[in-house]
Amino acid sequence: MANPTAPLSTVFATIATWVEDRFSLNELKAMGAKKTVPVHKTSLWYYLGGVALILLVIQTLTGGLLMAHYIPEIGSAHASVQQINNKVEFGWLIRSMHSWGANIMILALFVHMFSTFFMRAYRPPREITWLTGMVMLVVAFGFGFTGYLLPWDEVSFFATKIGVDISSKSPLIGDILGNLLRGGADIGQGTISRFFMIHVFVLPLVLMGLLGLHLMMIQFHGISEPEGYQKLPEGEKKREPFFPAFMLKDAVVWLLVITGVVLLSALAPWGLGPEANPYNPAPAGIKPEWYFLAMFQFLKLVPPHVGPMEGEQAGMVFFGLIGGGLAMAPFIDRGHNPFIARMMRLFGIAVLIGLIVFTIWGYMS
Amino acid sequence: MNYPLWEVPFLGGAGVIGIIASIHVFLSHFAVGGGIFFALTERWAFNSGDNRIYDYLKKHSLFFLIVTTVFGVVTGVGIWWAISLCSPNGTHTLIQTYTLAWAIEYLFFVTEIATFFVYFYSWDKIPRKTHLRLADAYAILSIFTLLVINGILTFMLTPGGWLTSRNWVDGFFNAAYVPATGMRLIGMLALAGLYALVTASRLRDEAFRVRMLRYAAKWFLPIFFLGPLLAIWIALILPQAPLDIIQNGLSTAASGTFSLMARAMVLSVFLSAALLLMVFVGPYLNARYFSPRAAAALMVVGLLTVGMMEWTREMMRKPYVVYNYMYVNGIRKDEIPAMNRDGATAHARWIAKDLKGEALGSELFRAQCMSCHNKQGYRGMDKLLGERDVAAIRGLLQVMRETDPAKSPYVKIMPPLAGTDAEVDALAAYLSTLNAANRKNEPQLAQR
Repeated sequence: MANPTAPLSTVFATIATWVEDRFSLNELKAMGAKKTVPVHKTSLWYYLGGVALILLVIQTLTGGLLMAHYIPEIGSAHASVQQINNKVEFGWLIRSMHSWGANIMILALFVHMFSTFFMRAYRPPREITWLTGMVMLVVAFGFGFTGYLLPWDEVSFFATKIGVDISSKSPLIGDILGNLLRGGADIGQGTISRFFMIHVFVLPLVLMGLLGLHLMMIQFHGISEPEGYQKLPEGEKKREPFFPAFMLKDAVVWLLVITGVVLLSALAPWGLGPEANPYNPAPAGIKPEWYFLAMFQFLKLVPPHVGPMEGEQAGMVFFGLIGGGLAMAPFIDRGHNPFIARMMRLFGIAVLIGLIVFTIWGYMS
Repeated sequence: MNYPLWEVPFLGGAGVIGIIASIHVFLSHFAVGGGIFFALTERWAFNSGDNRIYDYLKKHSLFFLIVTTVFGVVTGVGIWWAISLCSPNGTHTLIQTYTLAWAIEYLFFVTEIATFFVYFYSWDKIPRKTHLRLADAYAILSIFTLLVINGILTFMLTPGGWLTSRNWVDGFFNAAYVPATGMRLIGMLALAGLYALVTASRLRDEAFRVRMLRYAAKWFLPIFFLGPLLAIWIALILPQAPLDIIQNGLSTAASGTFSLMARAMVLSVFLSAALLLMVFVGPYLNARYFSPRAAAALMVVGLLTVGMMEWTREMMRKPYVVYNYMYVNGIRKDEIPAMNRDGATAHARWIAKDLKGEALGSELFRAQCMSCHNKQGYRGMDKLLGERDVAAIRGLLQVMRETDPAKSPYVKIMPPLAGTDAEVDALAAYLSTLNAANRKNEPQLAQR
């Protein structure tokens, strides 16, 4: 133990040594310093993963706070969210941050996915990074879908109903999936319980595992470099250390993101519609959340029967093919064949344009 | 109600004032803080004989000259233009009460600008010591412009003894004068640092850039240490009504004006804290990698912060333009009984006397509501009235005629409605046309 009359610097040194002996932080520091981030004109995209991560942190913290007041019971769910909005100190802020954060997070994930796709960061040896990322995007959709029902207001109820109906049209597993989600013949208490459990227990666990793997892979393989940068002679490649330089730049971006979420939450707090009544007719013009709009709109256009399948089933198969095509990118375009690389890029552009067009179309109609 | 009315669709006159004023505050505070920045930084350059600091200051002074004299001055005049159109009675009161103070303000202001022009054009043309004196003169003159105008600004929220004595000195040196001036001053130092970050981030020489960025970041230290203390001091002086509304708004924020002030307050506090943190982790801890792009992002947050704080201050004054004396719509508190007796139109010089029904209602809306509310858009009536029909609107308006806080929740944030029963009916008839679209029997979608 340090002598209490010793000068402060000695005390600090003693503490530092104690911590170092137990945690070996210097190794971590060396690891962070070894990792470098390429600097070039498209470096901006490197922040997107971090943006998604800070949004996940916001979601976790605000979600935890919401759990302290939310009651996943059919008679109380709506009232408990109302309580959060109107009675709990700063409840409105926490709930709005959770809702806005969710939407911005999914947007950030889309941008993150497409930016890494077009920078061809999926190429070997980064298949696992890419695949875990793709699965995490699906998990994020799951979060959005399950969380949307929990306030139990009119719109969330009917949008979820439509979503579950579409899911139960999936080929082969449709009926099982529908029953699993509903927890009964209709959307009710069983659905709330299951969605709540999936939202706060199942998906967070899955996400934690995937995210760990995703970040570990980035640590192993380093930050990917775009092709143009790779071709530069070694002397011209500008780099900066990940720690502390890029980390602190990240911190500024994170603060900007948090600011954006708080700004939206304070200026446009989320209200709550009237409580869901399953016996009411569905309100006119009900639509799912914006990130499902493109699929929703597409399904509306599919004819009732496509060959041997029902229209909706055909649509699901089509989405599966697109998702599968994106997921398979690292195995198709391995960086050996420029023609395949060009085709892959065109495919990505087509998917992106399709998504944007159908989303806007779905919004307008 | 002695002036014609200026109508701005969607944004409203208040919105126009708000936008111009936020930009002006962001620039004018830079002009004063920048004055202190030039004086101290040039002293540093003079004492150390470091030519690089001189070169940096020269570059910075061009940026400063353009920003303050062009945009600062234009928006300053813009505020006068906007307030005299939107709030002629309020502007009239300020000019009549503070004629002498305004004259002094202009004197300082013109001298300040002239001094800066001399300062800017005399780089390397006069001895360095003389040039340093010019910097000091500019700093002192610009601080005086703050000292004068802040007496008038704080008077609007806390007129204090002026209400009884009607002596302008009592209104000028009101309770909030010292803390609010202090608050603006430390805010100005921070803004000077913020603008200096922009110019410093563009310096070529890395070692010198790091040095200047860290120096600029240090200008946030006064607001970091003194800001919270002065904020508490100001909170202790504020009238009770806005404090109550904020207190309520912290828990209820489902919708509506009642929570807006609390939300603006939360946002102001949050933005200030976020900006301080960004300056700390960006230019201070990581100066080597602080890019002009990041400096621009910080500027945007700075503008938002200033805008939010000014918006909060303006909202706290509601329903008054001069607290406890004149309402936002230009009606004096002591005029209300007479208007209720003879009718609001009888006391309005610019409203025709023989109007009936919706036409009369429309004029009353313009005269008494339009200073804050628009038909659609910012604080739009179509949204606020919801699905109420004529009878419900009439009931709401009757509540709004109350002046007793126990009987009407609106007293704290809105001027009482003045006029006769017939006028209130006419206003209700007119208002029911503004939200007619809401009364289709369509199912309600979730409110966002």
